[in-house]
Formats: sequence, structure tokens, C-alpha cells
Amino acid sequence: MVKIYIDDREYDVPAGMNLVDAAKWHADNDIPVFCYHPKMEPVGMCRMCLVQQGAIEKDRATGEVVLDEHGQPKVRWMPKLQTACTQRVTDGMVIRTNTAEVDQARQNVIEFLLTSHPLDCPICDKGGECPLQNLTMEHGPGMSRMQFQDKQHLDKHVPLGDLIYLDEERCIQCARCVRFQDELVGDDVLAFHERGRRLQIITNSNPGFDTYFSGNTTDICPVGALTTADFRFGARPWELTEVPSIDPFDAAGSNISLSIRLDRDFGGKAMIKRVMPRQNESVNEIWISDKARFGHHFTRSENRAQSPMIRNANGQLMQTTWEEALKSVASILKAAGKDVAAIAGSQMSNEDLWALREVMSAVGSTRLGAWPITHAGADLVAQVGVGVGSNLGDLGKGDAVLIIASDLEEEVPIWRLRLKLAKERGVFLAVANARHTRMEDFATACLRYDYGMAAHFLSNLRAENPDLAQQLAQANNLIILTGAEGLSLDGSRALMQAAANFLIETGHVGKPNNGLLSTFPGPNGMGQYYMGFTPENTQDIMINPPKVLIVAQADLYHDDPSASQWVHEVETVINLTLFADETLSHEAHTILPIQSFAERDGTFTNGERRVQRFYTAQGPIADALPAWQVLSRLGEKLGRGKAKLSAATVMADIAKNVPAFAGVTYKEISNVKRQFPDVGGRDLYYGGTAYQNRGGLGVQLKTTAESGEAINTAPVELVNAPRSQAGQMLIVPTTVLYNRERTFLPSALMHPRVMMPYAEINSADAAKLGIKSGDVVEIVADTMRVRVKAHVNGGAPEGSIVLPRHLTTEAVPMTMTLGRVSKVD
Amino acid sequence: MNVIKGFATTFKHVLEESVTLQYPEQVRPFQQRYKGRHHLRRYDNGLEKCIGCSLCAASCPADAIWVEAAENSDEERYSPGERYAKTYEINMLRCIFCGYCEDACPTQAIELGHEHQLSFTDRRDVIFTKEMLIDPVPAGGQDTPQQVAPGAFNRSIPDMENPK
Ligand code: SF4
Ligand code: SF4
Ligand code: SF4
Ligand code: FES
Repeated sequence: MVKIYIDDREYDVPAGMNLVDAAKWHADNDIPVFCYHPKMEPVGMCRMCLVQQGAIEKDRATGEVVLDEHGQPKVRWMPKLQTACTQRVTDGMVIRTNTAEVDQARQNVIEFLLTSHPLDCPICDKGGECPLQNLTMEHGPGMSRMQFQDKQHLDKHVPLGDLIYLDEERCIQCARCVRFQDELVGDDVLAFHERGRRLQIITNSNPGFDTYFSGNTTDICPVGALTTADFRFGARPWELTEVPSIDPFDAAGSNISLSIRLDRDFGGKAMIKRVMPRQNESVNEIWISDKARFGHHFTRSENRAQSPMIRNANGQLMQTTWEEALKSVASILKAAGKDVAAIAGSQMSNEDLWALREVMSAVGSTRLGAWPITHAGADLVAQVGVGVGSNLGDLGKGDAVLIIASDLEEEVPIWRLRLKLAKERGVFLAVANARHTRMEDFATACLRYDYGMAAHFLSNLRAENPDLAQQLAQANNLIILTGAEGLSLDGSRALMQAAANFLIETGHVGKPNNGLLSTFPGPNGMGQYYMGFTPENTQDIMINPPKVLIVAQADLYHDDPSASQWVHEVETVINLTLFADETLSHEAHTILPIQSFAERDGTFTNGERRVQRFYTAQGPIADALPAWQVLSRLGEKLGRGKAKLSAATVMADIAKNVPAFAGVTYKEISNVKRQFPDVGGRDLYYGGTAYQNRGGLGVQLKTTAESGEAINTAPVELVNAPRSQAGQMLIVPTTVLYNRERTFLPSALMHPRVMMPYAEINSADAAKLGIKSGDVVEIVADTMRVRVKAHVNGGAPEGSIVLPRHLTTEAVPMTMTLGRVSKVD
Repeated sequence: MNVIKGFATTFKHVLEESVTLQYPEQVRPFQQRYKGRHHLRRYDNGLEKCIGCSLCAASCPADAIWVEAAENSDEERYSPGERYAKTYEINMLRCIFCGYCEDACPTQAIELGHEHQLSFTDRRDVIFTKEMLIDPVPAGGQDTPQQVAPGAFNRSIPDMENPK
């Protein structure tokens, strides 16, 4: 701690802290900034932060403070004003922010910026939450001395890619956007072009602004120069109501804020106008991926299921009331005896899953399946997951992270962003996969193994990669982050066990920033586990289909090419779904429309086991109800006691019955505390328009390792992966962020960014099969037959075909399999 | 005595010229500044002056105005600016005819006119929609949306003159 003096008051601040940050955090003194951003290195470009700076004079010889004639410490002032953003606090620093000279300087900078600003405020999307507007009101001259009309005119409608528009006139050239892309994200796709007043932002990638994080630049742009194609003119910021929510797409559980407003086109109901980041420094800081930001349109898809439907004697689906539908389902379940199973998708909230489990216990079945069945080992995450208080942002020198069998940028983009930054802080970042992934661009060490051999690789790490093993073992903190690329479900379990063993053996469990993380698909992979839903059960359900199957928010046919076979053996399918037009609807006996995350309350448990809450934002769709409510009412009909009336009471039930959730309440999940940096307050100029967290920081569940139980290693059951052989190749399904899943497809503005169906093939294999890049190939495996474009670009190791999931309308195998590839003429 | 005094006053006034008008047959001339129901104005060429900025709604003390904006394109242009009002509604039951909206409007698109006969029999009839509020297309002008030459309108907020 050092002593500094701001406006003649003394403050203790940590040594080396940025002066703007220190003044704001410790002295509640908002030094105005444009180019400085607390998450980025200062550049001192805009001169808005000028302050008078001096230092208490000390005698060189004695080190004594020199006193003036009044007996006060003597201050040696710098001859000119200094930019606060480029200063780090030192002992005895003296700052004045309220002198006439400083006021004048601020006025001058504002006046200068406004000489060529178009003053589009009445229609500008930033108007109302604009740093330039706010600072002009606070520090501006009030009148312009420039009476000329011929301001510099530049293009006002420049698409930087499909998602972001640039208004060149509004840009004040602070370079926040350029620096964000370059320094933080590592996708260096923006640049300055031209000079002086003509200076403008350009994108140098093809397609334009090619990054998964572009939306964040619109938050940190201190003017309305960057706007999103999604929100553009959707509403004025002051007309919006902010509702805290959670990104429904991946295991990071990014905190988001849904900006809602009533809308005529949505029947006069509240509608999501834009999705903004909500600060949670342990989860997503103030960033969200473009998928989280622009992927909300599925909640208003015209294909949303409207009302309960029951198939009549003629095999036609007929609309009915909830009461009728639930009565019918209850009698079906009673008639089926115990021969009932349930499969729940990972967008189901904890409450939904619990209510489903209650229904299942009412009928006496324990066949609770999790969907999809790609990632195993959630139980190991519950044992040796990253400890309570973990924060990828805390990792630094001496720490290590191993990412294995995952294409992290595509699977959990926020983790990729935060780990890239961790690497730059000195973390040893090892990336192991069978092919090149984007994460390797940021890695300290890149390792290769053959597809299917991830568990072997990790089990034999000490023998075969002693250096790496030692690096990891000796790290102060170690996180192993696993995916399931190129693995069967058993293979995924083996990998998780191998990872857990390594962590246990090297003592990296039961502590913050140590342990296991996995890229479970969807926002509630861990919730599925805690509520008793496992992929192993699902596998069993697929092999021995039950008489009655309850499917809840799981798009079986789009995810699994063999679905048509095993679902057919089920006598009665009860489908709780968002969408009326799923293929499963043709099979289903009953369709029960449920609400998406945007329309109701609930919680998700993210990959770090953080239980986080989302709130009711959007108006309801027709008769759809929250899944927990539907299931709870069904439970009542099956004799499980009175139906629950709110999600909070379901959570109370969970807390009572699921040991890991003991003591978790909505109240506790909703607790917030002050976070550094202090963004989202009234002073939007400081950190951008990310929102302050008012919805809760969530509660991280304890791992078994932390509750003091001894955790032992277990043998790794290695499974032999299939090998490519005569004419047969390995078909490796992978994840791509932008795809054609039911929950993403309705976001039409993303369509240009979704790749046409393709498969990557090695050049050696391509030569053998006479395939060139761009050829259409047919891939046949088990029950799958798809036609895709071949990409011969070195992306796939020899003998394997990398086939992204959910790009084709037909399902792609969930796990790696053997198949044949041929060229289509 | 007082009775006579009272009748005298009455008779005096009986002989005076009447100030009562036979409304609605007779209508008093309005003051120029009278604030009656609103009009959304157009430029001479038919484009709408309103740029959908919602400032009128923000300034309205009675929360009577509802604006939803959308973006113009050269193929479908409603206003010379970048955005236009897709929905524009005023709830005349709430409106207190203060004219703040008129003051707030950066393009002088909304103006309070002289109509004051705003009685209704159904509450829904008091929501004046954009179709009801907007002026007819002036002679020589074109209705909106207009198709215009690409790049003809390149300002976010038009200069306050009739676009050429
Ligand atoms: S576009 Fe915005 S963030 Fe980028 S340089 Fe211009 S003003 Fe700064
Ligand atoms: S006249 Fe006053 S009350 Fe009426 S709509 Fe305008 S601002 Fe609102
Ligand atoms: S009438 Fe004027 S103030 Fe109201 S939305 Fe239109 S342009 Fe803006
Ligand atoms: S120069 Fe300090 S904020 Fe821009």
C-alpha cells in the first residue's frame, strides 16, 4: 500500500495501481477517460484524463519530507498536466482533479472532439448511455466556438462484417476496439486506416470482423460508432428494462442482461431487444461471445410450440388444455408401470430437472438420461472440479492449464478468451488434441496424439512426456480442461478419470484454481449430473427403449442419426419441447410446450459448478409453461404432493434433497458485491456499457474434495478407439460455435456466419480418394448418410474426417465412428 | 329592495349582446398557438419528418407516446434520416396537450394542431396511430415508403430543410 493525495485528501492504495482505477476505486473520483479501459493497457491517446500531478518532495540525502514555510509537505508539481491513465500510483503522489486548469483542459478536449462529431444523438443507438454525451454534459464547454457547417463527412453506414456497423463520423479514434481485438481477444481483425480527421476503422479479415467476440467492441466503444446489426434502432437505451440472465449456450454460464421492451410486433409483450454482458469477474468478466449476444432469436421463433397436443385415435395431434394433457400423461405413466424413462437436455434448468426426477420417482423409475451423450465424468467434476473461489482471471505465473480433446474456441469461447489472457499473464498453457485447434495459437506447448487416444495420452503422460508432466505437476495451480472430441462416451470417461487421477496424484484438487473442468454441452451439464441425469443412463435407454419415454428439451433426431431406430421402439413418447416442428413431434404422443430461459425463472449450474440464476424477461409464448411447473403439476397427479408454485420453492426442495445443494437458496444466489473494475455505473465512460451485476453472482458448489473427504484415484478403463482401415475412415464429429441447431438457427442475422456443411479431410486421404477442396463428398457411417463439401486444408489428421455437428440437416454421429467417404459427381 | 336590485342586474344582461356560441354549428376561431391533437408532418416530397428518435416520448410528462423505430433503406425510405417510426401512437386520453413533444422533436415532425373534437365511445379509439396522425402526402410529393437513388440520403439526421 502507498499513500497518495487526491484533491488534498489522503488515500491508501495498492502500489502500482493505475491512477484512474485507484482514483475511482479508492477515492470515488471519476477521472474522465475515453481511450483508457480498465481491462486494457493504457495508450494515452485521447488526453481526456489530464490531471495536475506532483510528488511530495523528499530530501535526497536524508529521505525526510521537505516542509514549506507553513510547515506543510512541499509538493513538486509537474510543469504541465499529465494523463492520469498512463500513471501508476507511487508513494507520495499528489493529484488535483478539480483545479481551473484541469477543468479547462477537459473542456478543450471535448471541444476538440466535437469539432467533427456529427451530433447524431437523437437517433444514435448510444445516445443516453454515451460516454461522449455524458462527459460533454459534465465537462464540456456548453457552447461551441466553431460556427462552421462543413464538418468532415465520412461514411455513416459501413458494415464491418455481418454483425457490426461502423459510423465513421462518430468514431473518436480511441482505438479501444482495435486494442480489444488485438490485445485481449487475439483476433487482430481491426485496424486504423488513413490519417488525421479521415482516420477510420477498417476490418482486414475475410469475412469482415471475423471473431467470436465482435459485439463487445460495441460495449466499450465510447461513442455510437460501432452498433450491432441486431439492436440497431431497436429502442432508446432509457426505454429498456434490464433483466439479469444467463447465456443459455455453453458451460461457461456467462452472465448476461436481457434488455427488454414492449413491442407491437410481438403482440405488445415484452421482448428481448438486445443481450448485454453483465459483470461477473469470476465467470465472464464483462465479455460475452457473439453467440450469447445474438443467439436469442430462438425464443421468439415462429415454430415455438403453442399449446399442449395429444395424438387422437386417428393418429392426429390435437390441441388440448393443460388439464387434459396432464391427466392423459398421468394415466399413461400409471399404465406403464415402472417401464418409463426420461431424457433431459442440458438447457433444462436445475428446477426443471428436479421436477422431472420427482415425476420419475412417482412412477418408480430411476432411468434418468442426460442429453447429449458426448461428455462423461460429471461425477468426477463434482469430486475434483475446480475449487470454490476459482477464477480463470486469477491464474498467473507459475500456474498451468492443460486443455485436452477440446476445440475450446468453438465449445466455450469465453473460457478460450480468459485462458488466452491467462497465458499472457504467464500461465503455462498446454493444448493437446489430435488436430490443430485455434487454442494452439495461444498455447505454450502443443501436443498431438491420435484420435481416440486422449486418455492413453494423459495416463502415460509421465512416461512419454516427462517434461510436460513435470511442468504440470509442479505448477502452483493446475486446471485440466477436457473436451470429448474424438472420444466415445467410455473414452470420455477414461479421459476424465485419467485427468482426475493426475490432479489427485499431484495434489491439485480441493483448492481454488485447481481441478477439473469440462466443456459439457449446454448451460446446465453439471446440473444434469447433480439432479441424477447421466449420459450412461441415456445409453442404456437407447439400448433398451422403455415403454414410455419422456423427452425434455432434447432434440434427439437432430443430434443422433440412430434416433429413428431406437425411438421407434418406444411405445409412447411424451415430448416437452420449445419447438413444435421437431422431427420427434411426428413420433410423440403428447407435446407439452415449455418456456425458454428468457420467459421464466430458474438456475443453471455451469461447468465450474456455479449455480446462477436467470429471471423472467420476455413475454410468454401462447400456452407454454415452465417445465418445472408442468412436471410439478404432473407430479401432483401422480401423488407427489401439491404442485410447486414458484421456481424458488423447487430450489428449496433441491437444497433439502441434493447434498451438494445444501443451503443453496435463491436469496444467496442473488447476492452481489462490488467488483473491480467498477463498470456499468452511472459513469458509462469508464468500462463501457456492460451492466453492473444486480442479479447475483451465483453460488459455487463445493467439490467432494473440499468437503474433507479423501479422494482416491481410480483405475482408468482405457478403451481402444477404432482405427481407420481399408476403405474405412474415422469420422470425428466436432463442435462448431455457429451451427444449425434448433436454438441457434432462428437467429437469422447469424446465417451468413454459419458455414455450409463441410468436412475436413487430410490431403493424403484426399489424394487417394481423388477429392479436391470444394468437392461434394458423401459420408456414410452406421445410420448416417450426409453430403458435405470437402475442405482439404490440413485440418484433419490422416485417416480421419473431421465432421462438424449440426451444420447439416441430417444428424451426425454423436461420437467418433468408422465410415466411408466418397466423392459425389 | 335587494330583489329589485337583483332583477335589474338580470335585465341589464338580457339586453346585452350574447357571448354564447351555438357550438358545434358555430365555432370560434382558434388562436394560432392553440394546442389540439397532434400531426406528424411530411416534407414537400412526401418523406416523413419523423426520424423515430423517441425524444417526444421521453419528454412526455404523461407517458402518452409510444414509438418503435426501424431502419430506412434506399429501397424503402420513409424519412430522410437513418431511422423512422415504424410504430407511432399517441394515447389522447393520457395526453395533457402540454406540447413538450413538439418542443423535444429535433425535426419538427410532431406538431399540435387545432382539432379538439376528440370524444370517443371505445377506449381503443383514443390510441391515435401513425396512420391517423400523419399528414396527407402533399401535392407533387410521393407516399412513403419511397424508392430513392442509392446514397441520396446520407445523414443520420436530415438538415432542417426540405430535402431536394
Ligand atoms: S470505433 Fe469506437 S472504439 Fe473504435 S476507435 Fe472509434 S470510437 Fe474508439
Ligand atoms: S402534448 Fe404533452 S402530454 Fe401530450 S403527447 Fe405531447 S408531451 Fe405528451
Ligand atoms: S416525432 Fe420527433 S421527437 Fe418524436 S420520434 Fe419523431 S422525430 Fe423523434
Ligand atoms: S489519454 Fe488517458 S484516457 Fe485517453
